[in-house]
Amino acid sequence: MTGVIASVFMFVSSLACILLQPNIKNIIPLWQAAIIITVISTSISVILYKNVPTNRAPWLAINILFDFALFFLIYNFQLNSDIIIRKPFGLSASADISLILAGLVLIAGIIGFKDSINIFYNFGAKAEEVIIFTAIRLTAIISLLILSGILFIIIYEGFGAINWEFLTTPHRRLGQSGGISTVIIGTFWMVFGAMIVSSPLGVGAAIFLNEYSKSNRINRILTIAVSSLNGVPSVVFGLFGLAFLVTHFGVSLLSGSIILGLINIPTIILTSQEALKSVPKSLREGSMALGASKWQTIRRVVLPSAMPGILTGLIMGVAKASGETAPIMWTAVPSRPYRCKGFTG
Amino acid sequence: MNRSTGGLRRRYYENLVEALLFISALTSIVVMILIFYYLISESFRAFAMIGLLNLLFGQKWHPAGDIYGLLPLISVAMVVSILALIINITIGVPLAIFLAELAGSRSKSVLKPAIELLAGVPSIVYGFLGIIILVPYLQERFYMLTGRSILAGSILLGIMFIPYITTICEDALRAVPSEFKEGSLALGATKWQTIRYVTIPAASSGITAAIILNIGSIIGETMAVLLVVGNIARIPNPLVDVFTQGATFTSVIAGEMGEVAQGSLHYHVLFAVGFVLLVFVSFLNIIADLTRAKMRRKFGGY
Repeated sequence: MTGVIASVFMFVSSLACILLQPNIKNIIPLWQAAIIITVISTSISVILYKNVPTNRAPWLAINILFDFALFFLIYNFQLNSDIIIRKPFGLSASADISLILAGLVLIAGIIGFKDSINIFYNFGAKAEEVIIFTAIRLTAIISLLILSGILFIIIYEGFGAINWEFLTTPHRRLGQSGGISTVIIGTFWMVFGAMIVSSPLGVGAAIFLNEYSKSNRINRILTIAVSSLNGVPSVVFGLFGLAFLVTHFGVSLLSGSIILGLINIPTIILTSQEALKSVPKSLREGSMALGASKWQTIRRVVLPSAMPGILTGLIMGVAKASGETAPIMWTAVPSRPYRCKGFTG
Repeated sequence: MNRSTGGLRRRYYENLVEALLFISALTSIVVMILIFYYLISESFRAFAMIGLLNLLFGQKWHPAGDIYGLLPLISVAMVVSILALIINITIGVPLAIFLAELAGSRSKSVLKPAIELLAGVPSIVYGFLGIIILVPYLQERFYMLTGRSILAGSILLGIMFIPYITTICEDALRAVPSEFKEGSLALGATKWQTIRYVTIPAASSGITAAIILNIGSIIGETMAVLLVVGNIARIPNPLVDVFTQGATFTSVIAGEMGEVAQGSLHYHVLFAVGFVLLVFVSFLNIIADLTRAKMRRKFGGY
């Protein structure tokens, strides 16, 4: 088990060294110690247990040799510590020795962990499971770290700048001073317009697809259209808006709103459809049995019970619309970012 | 008499509502057709003047000299999407496996909202963070001339689309009937063997669809790429040199559209770039749709 601890230490510390770029001089002796511990614990357990499968033994030998080589490389590093490999293979980047060492120690950590677990579980299926599940759990931790990093940086760097004055005054001197009230108001109206365009069309289309459409073929064509509309890159929507709307309405809030609304339609259709699908059939049949017409059933029974899901879709639409940038750059923003009408212009 | 006119009016009303709903359902088809129509009509002049093959396989993109070739954009877009996809898959798919098969209710209650939150971060915010963190880091770490590079764009895109691939893959993994897994476990397989040899093969078409969809969104993503990729349209030499600047379809359109004169050749060429992008992404979407339909046929609902 000491091998596992040493490997985990090597993994974490080298990853931190790659990301944070400290002076690695202080951590070098620890790495050397960790490598020695891994090698010794691996060799001892191999000698003691003596039940290593023959096809794994060469790999173990190679890993131990790799550890030895790394140990002497690190020893060498202590003598001359300013080697830089300049532009290898014609790439326009260079790597210094601290980066290379950290990378190699990272690999040694992974290999050591794998070997120690394998030896601990006698190279069985259980060992493979533990290794893979550790890797899978690691991805979950990485994604959480990414999210918390993003949130931390935005809040840490941005929170100090936000005060009431910043939020409520218009910008002055081309955005060099003043606040962002114009941007907030512009974003609000643009998203409001987008929702007026997209919510009736989107919810209506979802109701038609889910409740009315009987022909399978029409349904299929509509679904393909919705999903390909969902995949259209936002910059293409921007070009479309430039060619289609700007010639009619000019560069204006209206053009921006319509484009954002069109972008939103697939999102709203897909989420509303999910919400409508989850309404049980017995509710509809009960209403029909009482003599209500189809539209009455939908309006009085189906829509109210699907409302939470539909609202979620609309809110997601609002979030998507306020975050879009490319499509409104040429349709709603006069020319350059500092005169923008939205957060993202 | 009175009742029958009431019934008649009611039926008219019902038909009117149905017609209105049908029209709103038609909107997406109409919009799709309009997009294709306008992009073709605006880019037609570019194709006519330069020639389809010259435009697609020209090796130089040099707007100042009116020389336009898409090969630099195509090659960089390819490199960016391959690299981004590698990052994306190595984190996104295991995360989906974790959520669908391993996670307890507590870790799920943390991870699920976190992933939704990540999905909601606008692309421009990713680009901004890329500029203030990723670009200086790469510049310092790899002794590059500037940190704005293909690598920066790929890392950013790879991280950005993790939530999407995770959500679709998780749905696909959940759609696998539990009898399959129980049968495998009853035969004495470990949990990982069950996932590896039963669940993943059964969900493979869903996972493939997720990956294809993600290629489409990675190629179509604009703002994050525009801010960090460097925007110099040339073929990287050697092709795997990800530490140099490049320009993709979207970054060229977004970066240059603001400055061109309307009606000039450059303007039409940018529409042509958009048209090529649209055709490619629609093609990928249709393939992904067919793959997902296959999965749906196999297991019923999903």
